Amino acid sequence: MDALIIITVGFLVAFNCGILGSFLVLRKMAMIGDAISHAVLPGIVIAFMLSGSRENIFMMIGAGVIGVFVTIMIEVLTRKGKIPVDAAIGYSFTFLFAIGIILLTAFADDVDIDEQCVLYGEIIYIPFNVWVTQGGLHLGPTALWIVGLNTFIVLIVILSFYKELLITSFNPDFADSIGIKPIVWHYVLMGLVSYTAVSSFESVGAVLVVGLIIIPPATAYLITERLNKMLIYTTIIALITSILGYYLAFLLNVSVAGAMITISGTIFLLVFYLSNRYNKKVIMSKSE
Amino acid sequence: MTKTAVEIHDLVVAYNRKPVLWNIDAHLPAGKIIGIIGPNGAGKSTLIKAMMGLLKPASGKILFFDNPLDEVRERVAYVPQRESVDWQFPVTVFDVVLMGRYKKVGLFKNPGKSDKEKAKQALEKVDMYQFRDRQISQLSGGQQQRVFIARALIQDADIYLMDEPFAGVDASTEKAILKLMKEMGEQGKTVIVVHHDLQTVMDFFDWVMMLNQRLVACGKTQDVFIEKNLNDTYGGKLTLLNEVGQILSKNQMPQREK
Repeated sequence: MDALIIITVGFLVAFNCGILGSFLVLRKMAMIGDAISHAVLPGIVIAFMLSGSRENIFMMIGAGVIGVFVTIMIEVLTRKGKIPVDAAIGYSFTFLFAIGIILLTAFADDVDIDEQCVLYGEIIYIPFNVWVTQGGLHLGPTALWIVGLNTFIVLIVILSFYKELLITSFNPDFADSIGIKPIVWHYVLMGLVSYTAVSSFESVGAVLVVGLIIIPPATAYLITERLNKMLIYTTIIALITSILGYYLAFLLNVSVAGAMITISGTIFLLVFYLSNRYNKKVIMSKSE
Repeated sequence: MTKTAVEIHDLVVAYNRKPVLWNIDAHLPAGKIIGIIGPNGAGKSTLIKAMMGLLKPASGKILFFDNPLDEVRERVAYVPQRESVDWQFPVTVFDVVLMGRYKKVGLFKNPGKSDKEKAKQALEKVDMYQFRDRQISQLSGGQQQRVFIARALIQDADIYLMDEPFAGVDASTEKAILKLMKEMGEQGKTVIVVHHDLQTVMDFFDWVMMLNQRLVACGKTQDVFIEKNLNDTYGGKLTLLNEVGQILSKNQMPQREK
C-alpha cells in the first residue's frame, strides 16, 4: 500500500512537472523551472517565520508568491535591462536562494525546516503524514491531496487553453497580431510552474524537480512531431520513471527522488541513441 | 481618389532610445500591392511590427481604415518573417494554418469543421494540401513560406502585411506568391510587402514606399521608383548604386520576355 502511494505521488509529480515542462522546453525556457524551484526557498522560510506554522498551505502561498516574483524579475531584467535571459535567470535565482539560505541559517533555531528535505525531498515519508480532520476522519496522505489537486488544476488549464499555449509558444508575434496576448499566457504558465514547483518539493525537493520539468519532455521532444503526442509521451515516461524509480530505490536502498531522475536520465540517453540511429528526423524523400 | 487602407502619422520608433524610424507620414491606398523597400537597417520590418502593434512607437499613430488596430484587428493579417519561428517545433502544416482561426474560434473551444474546411482551401490555394500532415521541419524554405501565407489567407482579412515573403524562396514559390498577391489585389485587398530585391520591384508592386529610417518617397511605382529616390534611399552604398543604375537602364529597355 505504501509503495502504491509513493509511486502514485511520484507519478503525479512527474506528470505535473512534465506537462508544464513540455511548454517550457518548447519556449526554450527550461531553466526558468530551475530558477523558480530554487527561488521559492526564501518564500518558504519567510512564510514559516510569519505564520509560525508548518502548515503546508502557508508555505505554499509564500513560495508561490516568490515563484511568480522571480519570473517577473527575470522578465523585467531582460526586457528593460536588456540583460541576456540566461544571465537574468542565473542572477535572480541564486540571489533569492542565497537570501533563503541566510534566513534559514540565521533563524535555524526558530525555523524547524530541514534543509535536506527542502533540497532533496523525502517522498518516502509521504504515507506517514496523514491528513486527519478535526472530527478524527482519516483522509489518507496529505501529499496525495496536495499533488492531486495540482494535477487537477494543470489538467484543467492545459485542456482549456491548449491552443492559446500552443500558439504563444510557437509564434508569439503572430499570436499577438491576432489578439492573443503572449504576455498573459506567459504568466499563466509561470504561475502554474511556480505552484507546481512548490507542491512538488516536498516529494522530490527543489533540485530534482528541475529534472522532472526538463528530462521527460526533452525525451518526448526527440520522438514527436506534434505537441499533443509530446504530452502523451511525456506522461508515459513519467509513469515509467515513477515505477522503475521506486523499485530501483527499494533495491539499492537509496533516495527515491534520486532514483527517479536517474531512471528518466537513462531513458533519455536510450531514446537519444535510438532516435539518432533509426529515425533521422529529416525525411525529405516524399515527392515534392 | 482611392480609399486609404493605412494611414501613418508622425511615427517614431526607437530601440534603446535610439530612433530607428523618424517621422514617418504616409497614406497607403486600398486595393493595391505595396512594396516597402530600403537598405538593411532601414527599419522596414520595424515599420511592419509597429503597424501590427508588436512594437510600441515612441510617438505617432497608425490607422487602418480610419480606426486603430484594436478595433479592426480581424481585418488585418500578418505574415511574420520566416526566420522568426523555430521550424523544429512539433506541429504539422495543418496545425500551423489553423492558428489563423484561433482568435475567431474563441476561448475554451477547438477549431471546428468550418475552420478545417477553410484551412484546407487555403492550403490548396498555395498548393500545399498534400503536405498537411508533415511536421514543419520537413519543409523547404519556400514551402514554409507558403504555410505562413496560407495561415494569413484563412484570416479573411482586407489588409495583409507580409514581412519578406520572397526572402530565400524558390522560383516556383515566388511565382505562386506573386500570383496570389495579384489575385488579392483584384479582389480589392491591400497587400503590403517588405521587399529587398530591387530587380523585381517594377514587376511586383503598384505602389512603393522607399524607406531609410526616414520616408524617402511613397507613391505609384512608376512615379517614385526613380534614380533620385533610389540614390536617397541607398545613398553612399557604391555597389548598390551600381546595381541601381543597371536596374534603371534595364527598365528603360523593352522587356522582351513579356
